[in-house]
Amino acid sequence: MTTGSGAGSGPGSGSATGFSPDRGPDPATGSGPDRGPGRSRIRAFGLRTRLLLAFLLVAAVSAGTTAALTYREARNAMLQTAQDTAVTSFRDQVQQTAFGLPLQGGEDLEAVLRDIARKGKPHPWVVFAEYGSIRASSGENPVSTVITPELRRAARANPHGSFERVVKDGVPYLTIAMPMVFKASPDSVLPSGLVLYAVMRMTDEQVNVDALLMAARDGALPGLAVALIPGLIAARSVLRPVRELRRAARSMGSGRLDTRIPVRGSDELADLARTFNESAAQLECSVRELREAEERARRFASDVSHELRTPLAGMLAVTEVLDEDADHLDADTARAVRLVSAETGKLAVLVEDLMEISRFDARAAELNTDEVDVAEAIRKTLHNRHWSDDRIRTELPDGIRARLDPRRFDIVIANLVGNALRHGSAPVTVSLRTETRSPSPPVLITEVMDSGPGIRPESLPHIFDRFYKADAARTRSAGSGLGLAITLENVKLHGGTIRAGNPPGGGAVFTVEIPLHAEGARG
Amino acid sequence: MRRTRTRRRARAVAAAVTAAAPLLGACGIQETDVIEAGGPASFQAFLNRDHDMLLFFRSPDGGLSPVIRTTEPSAGFGDEYVEPGSADQNSTDTAGPVPTEKAVLALLAGPREEDRAAGLSTSLPATRPGGTVEVEPPSNGKVTTRLPLALQDLNSTALHQLTCTIAYSHNTDGQVVVELTDQDGTSRTGTCGLAPRNSGEAPAEPGPSTR
Amino acid sequence: MDPDPTDLTITEGEPPMPRVLLIEDDPSVREGVGLGLRRRGHEVRAAATGEAGLAALAEFRPDLLLLDLMLPGMNGVQVCRRVREHSQLPIIMLTARGDDFDVVVGLEAGADDYIVKPARTEVIEARIRAVLRRLDDSGPGRQGRPAIEVYGELTIDRVALTVSKTGRPLALAPSELKLLLHLSAAPEQVFSRQQLLEHVWDHSYHADARLVDACVRRLRGKIEDEAGSPRYVQTLRGFGYRFGPL
Repeated sequence: MTTGSGAGSGPGSGSATGFSPDRGPDPATGSGPDRGPGRSRIRAFGLRTRLLLAFLLVAAVSAGTTAALTYREARNAMLQTAQDTAVTSFRDQVQQTAFGLPLQGGEDLEAVLRDIARKGKPHPWVVFAEYGSIRASSGENPVSTVITPELRRAARANPHGSFERVVKDGVPYLTIAMPMVFKASPDSVLPSGLVLYAVMRMTDEQVNVDALLMAARDGALPGLAVALIPGLIAARSVLRPVRELRRAARSMGSGRLDTRIPVRGSDELADLARTFNESAAQLECSVRELREAEERARRFASDVSHELRTPLAGMLAVTEVLDEDADHLDADTARAVRLVSAETGKLAVLVEDLMEISRFDARAAELNTDEVDVAEAIRKTLHNRHWSDDRIRTELPDGIRARLDPRRFDIVIANLVGNALRHGSAPVTVSLRTETRSPSPPVLITEVMDSGPGIRPESLPHIFDRFYKADAARTRSAGSGLGLAITLENVKLHGGTIRAGNPPGGGAVFTVEIPLHAEGARG
Repeated sequence: MRRTRTRRRARAVAAAVTAAAPLLGACGIQETDVIEAGGPASFQAFLNRDHDMLLFFRSPDGGLSPVIRTTEPSAGFGDEYVEPGSADQNSTDTAGPVPTEKAVLALLAGPREEDRAAGLSTSLPATRPGGTVEVEPPSNGKVTTRLPLALQDLNSTALHQLTCTIAYSHNTDGQVVVELTDQDGTSRTGTCGLAPRNSGEAPAEPGPSTR
Repeated sequence: MDPDPTDLTITEGEPPMPRVLLIEDDPSVREGVGLGLRRRGHEVRAAATGEAGLAALAEFRPDLLLLDLMLPGMNGVQVCRRVREHSQLPIIMLTARGDDFDVVVGLEAGADDYIVKPARTEVIEARIRAVLRRLDDSGPGRQGRPAIEVYGELTIDRVALTVSKTGRPLALAPSELKLLLHLSAAPEQVFSRQQLLEHVWDHSYHADARLVDACVRRLRGKIEDEAGSPRYVQTLRGFGYRFGPL
């Protein structure tokens, strides 16, 4: 779709106008769509980060759970094995030992206990013997501080081997109680009242458990790192369509309504792309309709003024004849003839202004710049309009040269001064100066200030509207009602700005700012 | 809106932490309860039924502890110094198990020094020397023993000591019903029940029943 | 601005008023403009088409051609070229604003000036007088200088109003001749386009500078050896034009 190709071909105007209307709505605001790149591509909690975090979390939880469960099972199995080994070997050891009854304490007993302790599996243990009031051990203390009363009670109450894991001062111990029986006959045993205890530090088991834990952690961490890869891939697969969508949206925003997104796959993102494309198509359609309607309206205005112009050309040529001969007619006819003559003139001005406006609307207005002495140009304008009397004051420093369209600048100045004289009151001051505001190029500032009551505040926003009447009571002004609108368009064509205001000193002031070397707003 | 969202998120985090806590807390080695692991250990006790007798004394925790006593008093320090054969020859009695009367008399004589050294004691009263013990031949798995004691004066531990000593003297398994009678005619009947086979039930009660 | 029809008669000794051929397809414009001009004493012949106008040219022998650009059949630009093939008759185009491109084409084809429709008769009359005005009094400091001036291969006769190059006479349209005479009257002096509009065309200061540019291009095509690198009519970018230096 070639936007605006029709807009350039106003009736009768050639297609070789110097600028293309396709250049965008307004170069002054052209930086709008490019605000995006300022933002950093990686946001703190952007989609990518969140996806990665989610992946990491899932991986961490699963790895952690697996590791923990594995660890627990392995640890339990390991401890089980250690305990069973210990209990079994303890029983085997003590069964190979002989004791007399009653047991006799002292060196002999301790020697026997030390002998048992030495053969401990998987590690040496400390063996305690309790019989009657005898307390003996293979270690230094005859009574263990680790063995709990519960274990003692269980050993005494039940003729069963039993063990208990105890953690004392952060050190885990395995305590085994073994009630001793002896054979009273080949097939019956009798509790002897002797209970042997074994106490074993589980430090090695602790080390093993720590190693297991370390292994689980070392396995989990690389697992997490590996989980990053599918995370990144998933993020990419989601983010790429999102990025495409963003690019397309920005492209649409900058006016390329024919932007479409390739639809891939059949997931939600593809649905989104499809919806986007449908919306874009509808938008393009509506915009095209709007443009066509606008184009028709513009063409209609242009055609109407064109068609009005031809009869007007004939009429205007003969108004002189009417004016001359009116004197010889009777009074009523003479008044009628003069009325027709005068209104024909106004009609001609109105049609000319309408033509000018429709050419601006069609972006067919051309800027024919020339380097001129601005003060001289303004003086010529005032002189040509016979505004050289004391109604006009000028502050025009010599030597300011600017590149502008003299004919259009003449219209701007003439419209502003004429407007000031009609709606404000004399004296009207026209002043000129230049200003340099880095980094923008130097500008030419022209001010037209009147001495009237100023512009009513509620009128200010509409002062450049077409056919806007600041004073509702005034049915028709001497101008066409398009003067300020045409002025605005001419200033914009120069790439400049115009604004109206009421300075503190009273009156109204119109300020025109044009780049000193205007190459055309669209050129 | 935002606050509820934050709160919901906080709750989710809390839930995750709660779920993870047992897993994380299971690190290291924990304490356990007392866990049974197999039966008791049996050891060699040098019991020779031919001239050894089993006497039951009271241990400091209130239970009964068997003590092996050889019938050869000159043997002094037990069985190590006595060859089974020589003991047989030196015996005043005929070969065979130590008579129950002898065992009961030994029990009534109380713990010796080595027994006392191990903290063993007896609940039986000291008896006058020369008291007689009569053991009737067993009939129907029941052994009746007449004692030179007043049974009423004895507590349950004392009765249990007597019952077990008589039972194991009579029967290597101790599986026999023992009836005790005194001069007054009072009698008590019971079993020893110290063997681990009965461990499921309350052990060591002599089950004295007054007739 | 008061027209003075007697002026030309006295000074030039020519027929009282210029004869005007008007080629215009729209009857009301044709009649209105004709009426206004006749009223001012012009002898006017009107033609509805380019072909009819060209046919009337030889017979009517006008002093000036008023030519509408938008004509059915043969259009104004084509008529303009046909006339320029063997005549330096002053030509003023009638055009409508908005037809900017056509204005340029018309000017390139040899028209001397243009009028934007609709226009009052007094405006048309003023343009006609300006195009027909003789230039013998123009230029500063003319007194005491010879009538015939030679610049390189160019010979300008200010009395006979002829220009020749290497002895061969050149056919210059009135606006081209006036521009050359004005520029060469003060060699090496720079004239801005606005100044040339005022002095050569009697336009306002702010009129269409393309008039000057188009005329300069046509003039260069006739007097320069190479139009791309002019010797006689030189451009000073940003300021305007000057004659020489050679």
